[in-house]
Amino acid sequence: MKLKMGVDIGGLALKNPVMTASGTFGYGEEYADYLDLNRLGAIVVKGLSLNPREGNLSPRTMETASGMLNAVGLQNVGVRAFIDDKLPWLSRVDSAVIVNIFGESLEDYVKVAEILSNAEGVAAVEVNISCPNVKRGGIAFGSDPVVAGEVTRAVKDVSRIPVIVKLTPNVTDITEIARSVESAGADAISLINTITGMSVDIEKRMPHLENITGGLSGPAIKPVALRMVWEVVNAVSIPTIGVGGIMNARDAIEFLIVGAKAVQVGTANFLNPGVTADIIDDIERFMSENGIGDINDLTGTLRI
Amino acid sequence: MKSYISATVFSQRETARGHFLMALKTSASFRESLPGQFIMVRTDTNDGLFLPRPFSIYSVYSRGGDTFVEILYKVVGKGTEVFSGFTQNDVLNILGPLGGGFDVPSACKKIFLIAGGVGIAPLSFLAQRCRKEIHGAEITCYMGAASSEALLGVDRIEESCSVVKISTDDGSRGYSGPVTELFRCDMDLYVDDTVHIYSCGPNPMLRSLHELLKGRQIACEVSLEERMACGIGACLGCVVKTKSGGVSDGPARVCKEGPVFDINSVDFGDDSG
Repeated sequence: MKLKMGVDIGGLALKNPVMTASGTFGYGEEYADYLDLNRLGAIVVKGLSLNPREGNLSPRTMETASGMLNAVGLQNVGVRAFIDDKLPWLSRVDSAVIVNIFGESLEDYVKVAEILSNAEGVAAVEVNISCPNVKRGGIAFGSDPVVAGEVTRAVKDVSRIPVIVKLTPNVTDITEIARSVESAGADAISLINTITGMSVDIEKRMPHLENITGGLSGPAIKPVALRMVWEVVNAVSIPTIGVGGIMNARDAIEFLIVGAKAVQVGTANFLNPGVTADIIDDIERFMSENGIGDINDLTGTLRI
Repeated sequence: MKSYISATVFSQRETARGHFLMALKTSASFRESLPGQFIMVRTDTNDGLFLPRPFSIYSVYSRGGDTFVEILYKVVGKGTEVFSGFTQNDVLNILGPLGGGFDVPSACKKIFLIAGGVGIAPLSFLAQRCRKEIHGAEITCYMGAASSEALLGVDRIEESCSVVKISTDDGSRGYSGPVTELFRCDMDLYVDDTVHIYSCGPNPMLRSLHELLKGRQIACEVSLEERMACGIGACLGCVVKTKSGGVSDGPARVCKEGPVFDINSVDFGDDSG
């Protein structure tokens, strides 16, 4: 039986539902020796800003129970260098290229989205309104439904490609934010970004991260992510992309069952740079074993 | 495609208090390892460890058709603590060799190694290679440790070097004081601009070395250490500030642009130049 693996994410057709999560996959090229990138449904590249950013000082990462904290601080080459130096190579890969973007002002978001929308080879933008690491950035946009809607609409107005909005879990009611970005025109929603956390060296009585706090990722956050995806799926009608602690196909399938149309794999890439290919293979095996011919028939089949 | 491969623990012993030497039986592909390169090591056993950990390669050798990689490390946290409990025939997953190695010009005859603590690991590998590959190489090693009990790999480094000079912080063996001080005492006597220096050790030691060499035209490469999540240049967890790199690519990744850097390209935060 030939399996149908293709999914449609708000007008963006992907050959399968497995993508990489922004910030864990560099600009794609870092993984070329470890993985056939053509296998991926989409490559979501590192978050880009209008101008290059150096990010935070080290230490930037710390392992915690079943996960890790990071405070990279959105280091990136800037949108223009990405288009000149990274995109030409990445465009030759037979996977959709989704570019994650962020800004410190509404105007920044708009400029970056405009530049990318006119670049050859970008399939969609993913708007990061949620990164918790930057003092003036992310958090303010993503935690207020009105502001989240404003950013979404502003980006949508200048984009000729689908706009995915990535939500932060560090809010009281994520469905409120989800509804707001949906009514502002978002084509799809991805969630969750990292959960803000902290870790302390008790001998030195100092934080393990130079930035003091960081974003928690990995299997530790998967139950939270799954719950939030389920809530958002029930609150909006646009497609949802599940992200958070996916380590293997079983984890990915859980997200599909609660209603995600696709998934993003993040921290797992650090433990095994070829993990996404394994996940695709194992999802296909699960479908064959369970008589599921079309991946879309798995989506939203949670029995309650 | 490159990937993690399983490697069997061939031997492991505590060579000094809190310091371990582990030999892993692995694939022949590791024979191409260069001094200065590192491996990522991960365990799938249920011991609460999550991310892989980076280790400098201490040596690579073949015996009876098998290839072995050695790592020499200090227990500094949970990861190294778990690894130190592994014994013969336990299985780990390793990825490598990763990063770039030391650059040793073939015409280079006078080599100085300056090691602090467990920083001896990549330098010992380098000394072995230079001894074998550079005819007439004159290798001098300065090695420092907290105390005589904490000195690592002295016998092995003595096999490859013409001269080994030792310092300890508590004076229990050799010179009493930092290894960079011991080096400084000798420096003006016989270190001229034709020598090549290779160093690995704690950051304060490297910073002192940088100070010492300021204004001199001596080639010096240092191997740096940072916490890493991926080891392949993706997570951006292990960056260091550099002076040379343009802003567009941001700070340098120890795993990718390093772990070996020209000492003058690293911004040790000590001055402007």
